[in-house]
Amino acid sequence: MEEELVNQCVRLWEEPLSHMARIREQGGRPVAYFCSYVPEEILHAAGLTPVRLLGSMRTITHADAHLQAYCCSVARTDLDMALAGELSFLEGAVFVQTCDTMMRLSDIWRRNTGFPFHGDLVLPVRMGEEISLPFMVREVGRFRRQVEEYLGSRLEDEALWESIRVYNRNRALAEEVYRLRRENPGLVDGLSAAAVLTAGFWMRKEEHNALLERFLEAAREGVPEGEPAAVQLLVTGSVCTTPDLYRLLRELGADVVDDDLCSGHRYFDCPVEDEGSPEEALAARLWRRVNCPSKHQSLEDRATRLLTQVKESGAQGVIFYLQSFCEPHLFDVPYLKRKLQEEAGVPSLVLETELQSFSRGQLRTRLQAFIETIAGV
Amino acid sequence: MATRRLKVNGNRERQEGDDRERRRIKSTAAMRDLMLKYYMEAKAAEGTEKKIAWITSGGPVEPLICFDVIPVYPENHGAMCGAAHMNVELCEVAEGMGFSRDLCSYARGDIGSAVTKGGPIGGLPRPDFLVCCNNICNTVLKWYEELSRFFGVPLYIYDTPFVRGPLPDHTRDFAVRQMEEYIAFLERMTGKEFDEHRFLDVAVKSFAAISLWAQILSCNTARPAPMTCFDAFILMAPIVTLRGTQEVVDFYEGLLREMRQRVEEGIGILPAERRRLLWDNIPIWYEMRNLGRLFMELETCLVADTYTNAWTFEGVDPERPLQSMAEAYTEVYLNINLERMSDRQVSLAEKFQVDGMVMHSNRSCKPYSLGQYDLAREFTRRTGLPVLIIEADHTDSRWYHRTEVEGRIRDFVENLL
Repeated sequence: MEEELVNQCVRLWEEPLSHMARIREQGGRPVAYFCSYVPEEILHAAGLTPVRLLGSMRTITHADAHLQAYCCSVARTDLDMALAGELSFLEGAVFVQTCDTMMRLSDIWRRNTGFPFHGDLVLPVRMGEEISLPFMVREVGRFRRQVEEYLGSRLEDEALWESIRVYNRNRALAEEVYRLRRENPGLVDGLSAAAVLTAGFWMRKEEHNALLERFLEAAREGVPEGEPAAVQLLVTGSVCTTPDLYRLLRELGADVVDDDLCSGHRYFDCPVEDEGSPEEALAARLWRRVNCPSKHQSLEDRATRLLTQVKESGAQGVIFYLQSFCEPHLFDVPYLKRKLQEEAGVPSLVLETELQSFSRGQLRTRLQAFIETIAGV
Repeated sequence: MATRRLKVNGNRERQEGDDRERRRIKSTAAMRDLMLKYYMEAKAAEGTEKKIAWITSGGPVEPLICFDVIPVYPENHGAMCGAAHMNVELCEVAEGMGFSRDLCSYARGDIGSAVTKGGPIGGLPRPDFLVCCNNICNTVLKWYEELSRFFGVPLYIYDTPFVRGPLPDHTRDFAVRQMEEYIAFLERMTGKEFDEHRFLDVAVKSFAAISLWAQILSCNTARPAPMTCFDAFILMAPIVTLRGTQEVVDFYEGLLREMRQRVEEGIGILPAERRRLLWDNIPIWYEMRNLGRLFMELETCLVADTYTNAWTFEGVDPERPLQSMAEAYTEVYLNINLERMSDRQVSLAEKFQVDGMVMHSNRSCKPYSLGQYDLAREFTRRTGLPVLIIEADHTDSRWYHRTEVEGRIRDFVENLL
C-alpha cells in the first residue's frame, strides 16, 4: 500500500498540470504560487486552492519575448507555460518579493497574462529582527485585504484560524516524515519522503494531511526492505522540479537523508504560533522560519543550520542543487562549501541545472564521481 | 602647389583642433581633481582614527558625512576598474574562489580586488563597517554579507521593500524607523553623538547638489546638447560618492555655469547632432570610448539616460529631512514597478525630445534589465519611437561582442526617421 501511494505521488510530481486542471474541473479554484513565503492559509481560508509552480522541462517558445536568457529557468518555463495557454485553469497567481527575478516577473506576468487574480506580497530583507516585524504584519494584512477585495467579502478570523490549524497539522506531519527518514532511512527512502511531500503542492491540505497520515501509518508498520543506501546525502538548493535527482541517486547506490530545499524542508519549517491576530501569527512565522538566501537573518544562520542538519542526519556529503543564474544561492556557495569542509569534513558537489536544457547524462556522470569519492570506491 | 595644399591642410587641422578644444567640457579636470583627492584621502585614512564605511550606490550617504565617516563605493570603484579594462582579471580571482561567472561583475570584481588589492588604485581602503541598501537590487545583500564575513566588520542593512504603485504607509514607517536606527548604529560605530544641526547642514547641501545635478542634466534639452550621457556617467561620480559636502556643491555650481554658457553659445558636445537618443541601464564601462566615437561618427547624441537621472530624487523636503530622505531612498528608479519606470522613460523622452531609445540589456543587473522587453514595447506604443536593445555586461567584457553590437547600432541609427 505504501509503495502504491508513493507511486501515485511520483506520477503527480511528473504530471502536475493535468492534476491542477482537474481541481478546476471539480469546482476548485486553483491559484498559483512559486515561493514558500506565501501565506497560503489566507488563500485556503478564502476557498481558493494554492497550487505550486516549480518550472517544467520544456523548450521555451513564448517567454523569451519577455525575459532575457540570463535569469533562472524556473521563472522562464513558468512564464512560458502561462503564455502558451497551458495554465488556463488558474484563477490567478501570487508573487512574493524574494529575488530580483521574482520581483520583476510579477509585473511581467500581470501585464501579459489575463488571469482574474494577481496577488503581490512584498517582504523585507531583514528577517527575525524586531524592526521589520511591524512591517511584515501590516503587509500580510494588506495581502489579506487584497484577497478579500477580490472575493468581494470579508475573511473571518475564525476561518483563518481554521486554515492555520490545517496547515500546522500539515507541517507537523511533514516533520514526522522527515524525522522517520532521518532516524530510519531503511524505512522511508529519499524519493518516498520527497514525493509524498511534493504531491501536497497540488491538493487541498486536508486531503494531503489524510495522505500523509496513511503514509506514516504504513511506514511505521513496514519492515525495512534490506539495508538503506550505502551513501547518505543532504541536498540544499531551491526546488526540485522533477524526481530525477532522487532516482539517479538511488540508481547510483546513494540516497537523500535530509534536505534544505525550498520545495522541501524550508517549506514546512516552523508552525504558526497562536499569537495575536491571524495576520500577526502568519507574519511572525514567515519572519522567524528558516531563511531563503535572498533574505537575511544573520551572517551565519545558513551555515549553522546546514551544519546542524548534516550532523543530525548523518549525511556523508552535500549536494548543492541549484538553478543557473540564481544569485542568492550562488553567492552563498563558496562560503557554505568552505564551512562544510573545514568544520564538518563533509565534501560537497555543486550541480547547476537549467530546465530547458536538462541533461540527465551529465548529471549522472558528476553524481557518480562524487558518490564514488565518498564511498571510497 | 604642394606647399599650398599642405598649408590648407594645416589650417583645417588647426581649426579642427580649436573646435575640439571649444567643445571639450572644462569642468572634467576639476572633477578628476576632486575624485583623486577623495580617493587619496580615503586611502590615507586606512589604519588611522578616521572611520571608513563601504556603502552601496543607492545607500543613504548623508548620515555618514554627518558623522565624518569616509564613504567608499565599491560600485564606483567597479566602474573605474571596468573603464580601465582591469575588472575581468579581478572577476577571475573571485571565480577561482568559487563564485559563479553568472553573478554580478561589480560584486565579483570587488571581491577579487578585496583579496588581491588589485585594480588601478591598488584596491579600496579596508572598511570599519558596511552599509548596504537593497533599493538597487537584492544582489548587494549577498555581496555585502560576503564582505562582512571577509573583513570581519559590522554590516548595517537599510531595507527598502519594493514599491508597487504609491508608497504604502507601512513601507514609509519602516524606512523612517530604520533611518533612526541607522543613526544610532553610526553613534555606536563612531563613538560620537548625533548632531542634528550638522545633519541639517549636510541634508541641505545634499539637496542643493541633487538639485544642481538635475539642472545640469536638464541643460541637455538644448539643441545641440552640451554633453552626452557618457559625459554625465563620468561627471556623476561626485553626486554618487560625496553629496552632502560643500566641495560637491561648489563643483556642480561650476559645472552648471559651464553648461549654461555652452547652451547660450550653442556649443554642442558633438561636431554635428542629427539624432538624439535616450540610454537605458548602467554604462558599458569598458566600451565608453569606442561607443562614444561611434555615436559621434553617426552624429547621434545620447542626450539623456535613466541611470544618471536616478540621482535626481524628486520631492526631497529640507523641512523634514530624515523622513523625506527615507522616502526618497525607498522610491528610487529600480525599486518601483514597470509602469512607473515606463512613465519615467516616456517623460525623459518627451523632455529631451529624443528620436528613440537604446537599452543596454545588462547581464550583471537583473532588476535593471528584466522587464526591458516589455518596457521597450510600452515605450514604442506610448511615444511611437523605436527602441534598440543591445546585450552586454557593465564590467565583464567577456560577454561583449563589439562587431555585432556596433553593427546593430549603425543599422538602428541609419533607419531612424
